[in-house]
Amino acid sequence: MTRAILEVRNLAKAFGAFQVLEDVAFQVQKGEIVGLLGPNGSGKSTLLNIISGFIAPDKGTVMLDGRDVTSVPTFRIVNEGLARTFQLPIMPQKMSVLEVAMAADTTMHGVLPTLFRGAGFCKAERDTRERAMQLLDELLLTRVMHLPASAISGGQKKLLGIVCALMARPRLLMLDEPTAGVHPNLRQDIVRALHRLNDQGMTLVIVEHDMHFIREACNRCIVLDQGHIVASCKPEELASNERVVQAYLGASVEEARAQIMQKEVA
Amino acid sequence: MYDFLIFTVTIAGIYAIMALGLNVLAGYSGLLNFGHIAFAGIGAYATGIAHARGWPVLVGIPLGMIAAMILGVAMARMGRRLAADYWGIATLAVAEILRTVALNEDALTGGANGIAGIPGLFESMPGQWGQFYFTVLVLALVVLIAILSVRLGDGRFGRALRLMREQPALAACMGYDLLKLKTHALMCGGAITALAGSLYAHYFNFAGTEFMLAAETFVLWTMVMIGGIGRTGGVILGVVLVQAVYAFVPFLRDMLGFGSDVAGALRLGLIGTLLLLCLMWRREGLLPEKLRNPA
Repeated sequence: MTRAILEVRNLAKAFGAFQVLEDVAFQVQKGEIVGLLGPNGSGKSTLLNIISGFIAPDKGTVMLDGRDVTSVPTFRIVNEGLARTFQLPIMPQKMSVLEVAMAADTTMHGVLPTLFRGAGFCKAERDTRERAMQLLDELLLTRVMHLPASAISGGQKKLLGIVCALMARPRLLMLDEPTAGVHPNLRQDIVRALHRLNDQGMTLVIVEHDMHFIREACNRCIVLDQGHIVASCKPEELASNERVVQAYLGASVEEARAQIMQKEVA
Repeated sequence: MYDFLIFTVTIAGIYAIMALGLNVLAGYSGLLNFGHIAFAGIGAYATGIAHARGWPVLVGIPLGMIAAMILGVAMARMGRRLAADYWGIATLAVAEILRTVALNEDALTGGANGIAGIPGLFESMPGQWGQFYFTVLVLALVVLIAILSVRLGDGRFGRALRLMREQPALAACMGYDLLKLKTHALMCGGAITALAGSLYAHYFNFAGTEFMLAAETFVLWTMVMIGGIGRTGGVILGVVLVQAVYAFVPFLRDMLGFGSDVAGALRLGLIGTLLLLCLMWRREGLLPEKLRNPA
């Protein structure tokens, strides 16, 4: 059996009186591409934020490759092999696309190496540049690499977010809605790029609304609804899963049904 | 006239060093340090204390820089729980506390009298040469620090600072320890500014709380904002402009024959107008920060 690269155990998080996540537990095996689905407000982003160390859970643990990383600060999670992207990538104004991609390599960024610029520093700078150019090329950003990162389109910013995450050579990559606002043609390219990364051994967790994308990209889906995991199945089984359908049709149907029932009783 | 020119250039040079220190914080790192003058005060007092204790007087310079770095570390730690704007207000409070302590403490800082009799750096030179050499030293240091600060800003450290300034969440995700970056930036900016403070003390042969007034911090901010925050050349331009206004007003006073109090008000008014005009028409200063793009 393959070992779980990510394991989440009875995770709970409340914002004030609002229970965002409750008793969430799942595993992601090495080499999987897992889609994380759920209606708006179901707790997907909170889950991602907890795993990547942005917020601390009230309860539960996050294990990465067998190591407990629950209270590891965000900037150290990257060293544990986990990188992520953001749902709404806002990019710097005064840095070009290439500069932002290069910034994602955090080696040799101390004051003294920067001031003295020894051989190691220069080599690191060359290597970073080469790698950034290569990744920008793979994600079709070469044409805009000298523009301000804030000036490129929303879809391109998403791609730049992926480039930045990949610069760290993660073993597990979590993508927050990588295709929202991205042109359908480009979506195919993203799917291809993700499969290529997966072939190279990278495990992927993708938060996504687009069912079509999920079906093409993922081998398994985890569905969240109101802070609970309601399903974990293959993408093609989603439509036949009653709880998933219920979650996506929303509470309004239930409410309507409840109202009808009440009327009948009266 | 010659003396006045030398005086103006020297003061401008010292302010330029302080402003370059502020630029590492406010420009590169986006840290709203409203207590920046505290670093200069520490430098001045370190030189004063070294003199008062009978230590070799040049010991004051490294001593001040080290003390300023320690203050920088403390300020960064303080920011751990504060959002950027609140952190700015807290730095103002720290600077005011240090000034008040210096004002009321007798044994170390000489209380309200300050520490007088600090020797100049080239006093053994005959006639006006001492003055001249000091000015040359200050200008050489401005050039040196400007070069170092460009190097710092252009390299990987500067890249990390800019990313922290613009997108802290992204920077943290990439693996940057923001507290460490902030600490290192404050140590750099603090050390640079403390050096200027020591020079100031040597120049006026005095260290006192007048050097630590909050108004001085805002003069530095004005210089940086008018010139171009985040760009070394812009910062220098801002310093030159503001100092030019400062130096020009006394001439105007003599020409038009109004009193000293009017001159003081006119000075502040002119600087204020300049700042306002910049904020309205050139938000990013006269020489805006350039887009960072690896060639």
